[in-house]
Amino acid sequence: MSVNNSFQKIITSLQSFWIDQGCVLLQPYDLEVGAGTFHPATVLRVLGPDPIWKAAYVQPCRRPTDGRYGENPNRLQHYYQFQVIMQPSPEDIQNLYLESLYFIGLNPKDHDIRFVEDDWESPTLGASGLGWEIWCDGMEISQFTYFQQVGGIEVKPVASEITYGLERLAMFIQKIENVYDLDWDGIEKNKGGKTYGDIFLQQEKEFSKYNFEKSDTSFLFKQFNDAETECKNLLDDKKNPIALPAYHQCIKASHIFNLLDARGVISVSERQSYILRVRNMARSSCLAWMGKLNE
Amino acid sequence: MNNMEKSRGNLLLEFFSEEIPARMQLNSEIQLQNLLVKSLTQRDIAFESFKTFSGPRHLSIIIKNIELEQKDQEIEKRGPRFDANRKAIDGFLKSNQLKIDETIIKETNKGKFYFHSQMIKGQKTYEILPDIISEIVNSFVWPKSQRWANTDLKWARPLRNIVLLLNNDVVKGKVEIGKNVFLNFTNFTFSHRYSDKKIVINKIENYEQLLEENFVILDRNKRLDKIINDTSSLLDKGKLKLVNDKSLLEEVVGLVEYPNILIGSISKEFMKLPREVLSTAMRVHQKYFSITDKENNLESKFLFVANSIKEKDRDFRVIEGNERVLKARLSDASYFFENDITNTFQNWNEKLKKVTFYESLGSLHDKIIRMANISKIFAKDFGVQSELAKQAAILSKADLVSEMVMEFPELQGIMGGHYAKIKNEHEEVTKAIFEHYKPKGVSDDLPETKLGSLLSMVDKIDTLVGFFSIDKKPTGSKDPFALRRNSFSIVQILINFKINLSLNELLKPSLKEYCCSSKSIKRNIIDFMIDKLKFVLSNQNNRMDVVNSVLNTKIVNDIPIKIISSRIDSISKFNKNNDFKIFLANYKRINNILKSEKFPNKTEFPVDLKFFDTIEEENIYKLSNSFSKEIIKKGVCEKSQDILINYLIKMNEPISLFFDNVIVNHNDNNIRINRLNLLKNLHNSISKFSNFELIED
Repeated sequence: MSVNNSFQKIITSLQSFWIDQGCVLLQPYDLEVGAGTFHPATVLRVLGPDPIWKAAYVQPCRRPTDGRYGENPNRLQHYYQFQVIMQPSPEDIQNLYLESLYFIGLNPKDHDIRFVEDDWESPTLGASGLGWEIWCDGMEISQFTYFQQVGGIEVKPVASEITYGLERLAMFIQKIENVYDLDWDGIEKNKGGKTYGDIFLQQEKEFSKYNFEKSDTSFLFKQFNDAETECKNLLDDKKNPIALPAYHQCIKASHIFNLLDARGVISVSERQSYILRVRNMARSSCLAWMGKLNE
Repeated sequence: MNNMEKSRGNLLLEFFSEEIPARMQLNSEIQLQNLLVKSLTQRDIAFESFKTFSGPRHLSIIIKNIELEQKDQEIEKRGPRFDANRKAIDGFLKSNQLKIDETIIKETNKGKFYFHSQMIKGQKTYEILPDIISEIVNSFVWPKSQRWANTDLKWARPLRNIVLLLNNDVVKGKVEIGKNVFLNFTNFTFSHRYSDKKIVINKIENYEQLLEENFVILDRNKRLDKIINDTSSLLDKGKLKLVNDKSLLEEVVGLVEYPNILIGSISKEFMKLPREVLSTAMRVHQKYFSITDKENNLESKFLFVANSIKEKDRDFRVIEGNERVLKARLSDASYFFENDITNTFQNWNEKLKKVTFYESLGSLHDKIIRMANISKIFAKDFGVQSELAKQAAILSKADLVSEMVMEFPELQGIMGGHYAKIKNEHEEVTKAIFEHYKPKGVSDDLPETKLGSLLSMVDKIDTLVGFFSIDKKPTGSKDPFALRRNSFSIVQILINFKINLSLNELLKPSLKEYCCSSKSIKRNIIDFMIDKLKFVLSNQNNRMDVVNSVLNTKIVNDIPIKIISSRIDSISKFNKNNDFKIFLANYKRINNILKSEKFPNKTEFPVDLKFFDTIEEENIYKLSNSFSKEIIKKGVCEKSQDILINYLIKMNEPISLFFDNVIVNHNDNNIRINRLNLLKNLHNSISKFSNFELIED
């Protein structure tokens, strides 16, 4: 009987817990992103217009350089985050987080839970915040951040972001040492039950090969430039910019940059300028979203 | 006594927040103490003593026997000048509702003025406290701080509660932390995270005890003691010892409210990894301590400090969880290690071409080529083979692009050394790479091997000269490239290995590598290094004035470092010698005579023998010439420094006779100038040895 701690059960439990806290339950953003933070529901919404914004969603994340061809038990180039954003940050947010652990079958009182300093910064989003990584018996299972800035703009009121690393968390709960052995659905193998490996091993192998060996870098360079141009065009009319599609292009460019990085074709000195270009896209999109592009 | 009890009481102030980073806690404790003491003193509220506490969430201070009432305040108002017109004086009296006999006339440094002084009754301490607390909250400075929700206040992490008790009663009041957002003063705090109960504090003297009962040890020293005591009792049973790691210990003290020492096992398969990999993987990411046996062999165990109350079942689970995490970390490390050992140094060096050392200073590959060129030149001075010196330099930076060092930057050099060993490089080369980042600070150990010292020095000279050549020298407190530490290390190596090279010789090859011919850059680097030489030499129990006297000679750039040291030793040795003291007196007498004269900027001054009319003049002339020769001949010989001082002492008699029998200020100007030049030449040749003027009596 392991139905209660299957990967999919953890997701649905987290969803219902945070729905009860008043969050709107969203679905993943339909683009490749490096982290759940990239979702417009976080980046743009914390900048307004409503000072109250609570959302929760699962977001598949891609980090091309973390590909290990399915050979490393802990590293994936594609994995899932569960993201909770609450603005303004509630007074009892730490306790809410601990309760959510209890809700998914991890009683904090049975473990050693630690909030260890970990300040967060996303150079490409021009975003930063202070917070912790949360350790459970030495394992980092979540990230906790009080957003101070996004797109270089002060976040007011401050929002709290909780990011659960779903694979890590599930591995901890299921006491599994290899991510591919995770029980996905709580159904026994001989009855057609699936493990994480059944579903994603092939994907990890193929995408590792793509990320490190096969991607067409000249095509990617072109795509990066195209996305940047498109982003600029969409914000060209300073009085009536369309912020969401512009930010969409920014997300695209960010992922393409990560792909190029995985191919090792961006030199150390160029790196900074690419990051800056993405940041500029993010910043203008954020300003456009706030209606402050021409200020 | 009774009176005292009534007029004084105890004060408790506690800031309760979400988990404050460990590294900031101790400082915040000191800051809290300073701010509160300052505020109380400014307001004339006396107290007897204080005690501070800090941990992850509680930051507090208890003030003992604080006055419950501020001392009466004398307020003095200055009126118009004593000689001001009637109207001004009347105006002052009227506006302050005074009669003239209620004023006094006082002299100030600006003249006589009318004054009125008034005693204002001291306020009650509890009435003043809210202002004080608000002042403290707003002037608190954290290395990094944040806002939260709707606050404008910045704190290291959200501040959730402020306890303020005076004489065991809660002080009424609040602090504004945002627009219309307040924190009221309370009489309760919270227990260990595990239970997170509200704890009401009825008596300040029970505060520490009460929290300990609720599993929060407020005093960081008590937490430290508990960790140390529990550790030693746990390890003694197994005859093991903890690898000493003070800074990790201090960090851990800031991560727990109630330390619980636990020991886990490392799977045997990982014990083949280099020891440094194991301990770094444990320390950096997991904050685990390594354990060794009495012979210092690493055990397949690790120790960690949980934030919990001992409880068998839970402890078992916590250990199991930590073991799993470590296993994952170490399999990552194994993966990197296995990949790295199938890679080659050539491959890594090829990659270094793409890694910039610093903008306009080329790639890391350029750096190793420069280092190799310089190493060859200095190999002999370090007593190592020049081929090995070159090879060590060429291989030294390869590990920076290895997978292991990308993951654990603190293993730089160490991995290079291990990998070079695996690739069967010469043993001296592997050891040199291993230790070439040493010394990492003034108190760190120096490299043990000669080749390691050479490599370390050459690496650092290349960095120093490079950054100075593009005008990135340290300014004020800013030293982003750690050039100060860098040149300290160079100087320490030079002195320790008694290197027979002068600063000019040391810098020349590196300046050439950077094609830097600017005299002012070279001058700047030399001055920078002399400054560090001064510091290191005077830290070796040498008298500062002696060190200065030797370093403040015009030709110091050309004196080999080992001569500088031995000259300082010699002078120090002679310092108490009576003859030497006479010599110093003579030297200073000469110096005083010359000081009042103007000389052109030359090294040699014309002395005409035909103006001599005493034997004393001739003697001084001979002395001056022969010492000039002597210092050229023996000045660069380490063992001759004593001989040279004896030579100086032998001058005592001829110099005394000169002063007894020769008048420098002769009526005939030609003779006068001739005599002055004679002394000037003597002075100059002595000053090549040391600027004795700087030696204090």
